Amino acid sequence: MAPPVSPPSSIPPGSWRVQGRVLKALLLREMLTRYGRHNIGFLWLFVEPMLFTLGVAALWTAAEAYHGSDLPIVAFALTGYSSVLLWRNMPGRCIGALWSNLSLLYHRNIRVLDIYVARVLLEFGGATISFAGLSLLFIAIGSIDPPRNILEVVGGWLLIAWIGAAVAIFLGALSHESELVDKLWHPASYLIFPLSGAAFLVDALPPVAREYVLYIPMVHGTEIVREGFFGTRITAHYDLGYVVPFCLVLTLLALMTTRRVARRVVPE
Amino acid sequence: MPFRLNQPRPFFLAPLFLAAVVVPTMLAFVYFAFLASDIYVSEARFVVRSPAKVAATSLGQMLSGSGLGGASEESNAVVEYLESRSALDDANRDGLLSQAYTAGDIFLLDRFGGLLPPNQERFFDYYLDKVELEPDPTTQVLHLRVSAFGPQDSQRIAERLLERSEDLVNRLSGRARADALQVAESDAREAQERARAAAVELANYRSRTGIIDPEKEAIARLESIARLEDEMISARSQLDQLRQFTPQAPQIPYLQSQVETLNREIERRRSGVAGRRGSLSSAGARYQVLQLDSELAAKQLAAAMVSLRDAQAEARGKRAYVERIAPPSLPDYPIRPRRIGGVLAVFVLGLLAWGILTVLLAGVREHREG
Repeated sequence: MAPPVSPPSSIPPGSWRVQGRVLKALLLREMLTRYGRHNIGFLWLFVEPMLFTLGVAALWTAAEAYHGSDLPIVAFALTGYSSVLLWRNMPGRCIGALWSNLSLLYHRNIRVLDIYVARVLLEFGGATISFAGLSLLFIAIGSIDPPRNILEVVGGWLLIAWIGAAVAIFLGALSHESELVDKLWHPASYLIFPLSGAAFLVDALPPVAREYVLYIPMVHGTEIVREGFFGTRITAHYDLGYVVPFCLVLTLLALMTTRRVARRVVPE
Repeated sequence: MPFRLNQPRPFFLAPLFLAAVVVPTMLAFVYFAFLASDIYVSEARFVVRSPAKVAATSLGQMLSGSGLGGASEESNAVVEYLESRSALDDANRDGLLSQAYTAGDIFLLDRFGGLLPPNQERFFDYYLDKVELEPDPTTQVLHLRVSAFGPQDSQRIAERLLERSEDLVNRLSGRARADALQVAESDAREAQERARAAAVELANYRSRTGIIDPEKEAIARLESIARLEDEMISARSQLDQLRQFTPQAPQIPYLQSQVETLNREIERRRSGVAGRRGSLSSAGARYQVLQLDSELAAKQLAAAMVSLRDAQAEARGKRAYVERIAPPSLPDYPIRPRRIGGVLAVFVLGLLAWGILTVLLAGVREHREG
């Protein structure tokens, strides 16, 4: 007698709970294997990006880098570089993630997507705590003003996270099939960094260049975060009508690639 | 028939597909096909000219950052103005905009004040949504697009906004001109006043002393003194000769008195030219001061007049104005909303969302207890 087949559109009871447990376990495992219990342990998760951001802020302050506005350089570096960390670290962590976690797939409830999602969530948490922590620190010592519109900052931040997650899962799944992805992502991420709006305001660019820069989805997120942070002091240029469909398409691509990889993957 | 019961439903009847694709597309279809009001767009193109700016060559434009500093002050002012509350207030003075946007035959969702109670701030947001101003970075032409629910309305609003912009530019350039001219004019007036005062002073002096020009007068007097001296020399030599050769000559006392008279006269005249108070030389000092004053004042006046003329010429050049390349058009067909495109966009986005949700939920479903 065949086992009862449930209609595909209904979810068996407990699946959400199992999904949650799996993600939690993967998160904890990831933190432990990456940071261990020595020194400050998992605190490195956000101390590391904090140090990066602080370093960049210090460098930019020292160099009085040209950023095309009269905004305080610390606030500018904070919003810009945190956004870069957010979208750049997720793919960095997901590429090749499957190879090092193949043995986990022996567990029936651990799926390929879970591994990616856990890493994406971990990076998101780290970057977010670092961004929020540094913002609070700088606001507390008075070197930057509090954001004008926190909800808008959150929205822009989530948008960048969405882009980062979609890119991460897509490239992560692709990287299981081809090593080229790993080799190409590094130069690509370094190239996108200066173009992602971290080091300039779109408004400061010549109008001819604006149009092309806005094809890069990360720019929109960074602009929204900046608008939330600085309010009317800057003129933000972004177009949700472009970014959201872009993210939707990329997410679908990422999920379908992941499914394809999940079908073909061989647990060690 | 258990087989039938377990038969999976076709995917287009699954609740997820209905929620993500079918329902939104149906709603969009109903809205775009039957409810959405026609939107007419009137477009105007104009350029804010300020001839003071040297026309940049294309190479110069490239070097200066390809239009970084492209738009002139005045055209920036127009952009800022049209996107401000005062533009809305000015254009809506007689209720033109509020009538156009709150008419009862506009669909509730499109109408201003349809869903939320109307107030100034919301009206301003609504206005920003209906008025598009796009500066063309390379040609510096400003494109003004006004959407409204009637063709005449949109044209009239665009016309009104254009007129207000012209007023603004006229006011700005008039102000700049008036400022520059005012300074030059007051300078010139001051110089004129000073020149007149110096001339009056000199005339008063002349009438008081009865001397037109002490220097010329002195020269004339010195000449007459020289003539007298010549006369005296000849008289004296005559006297000497008579005394030597004919001491008893009867002319001697006559010549003697003549010499004495001449001597006295010379002495008197000489003291009138220099030395004593009221002599020509002491009067000349005062005269020279006055003369110098009036010369300086005249020179200043000439300079002030020249700069006034320059300022006038510059002010003529500084005149900025709004030049209409294309006046507000009268749309004959509502180009918005894009009805078919809107429905299609909702359908495609719904499909994408459905695809993502399907894969994600399938992933969740693979986790089983037990």
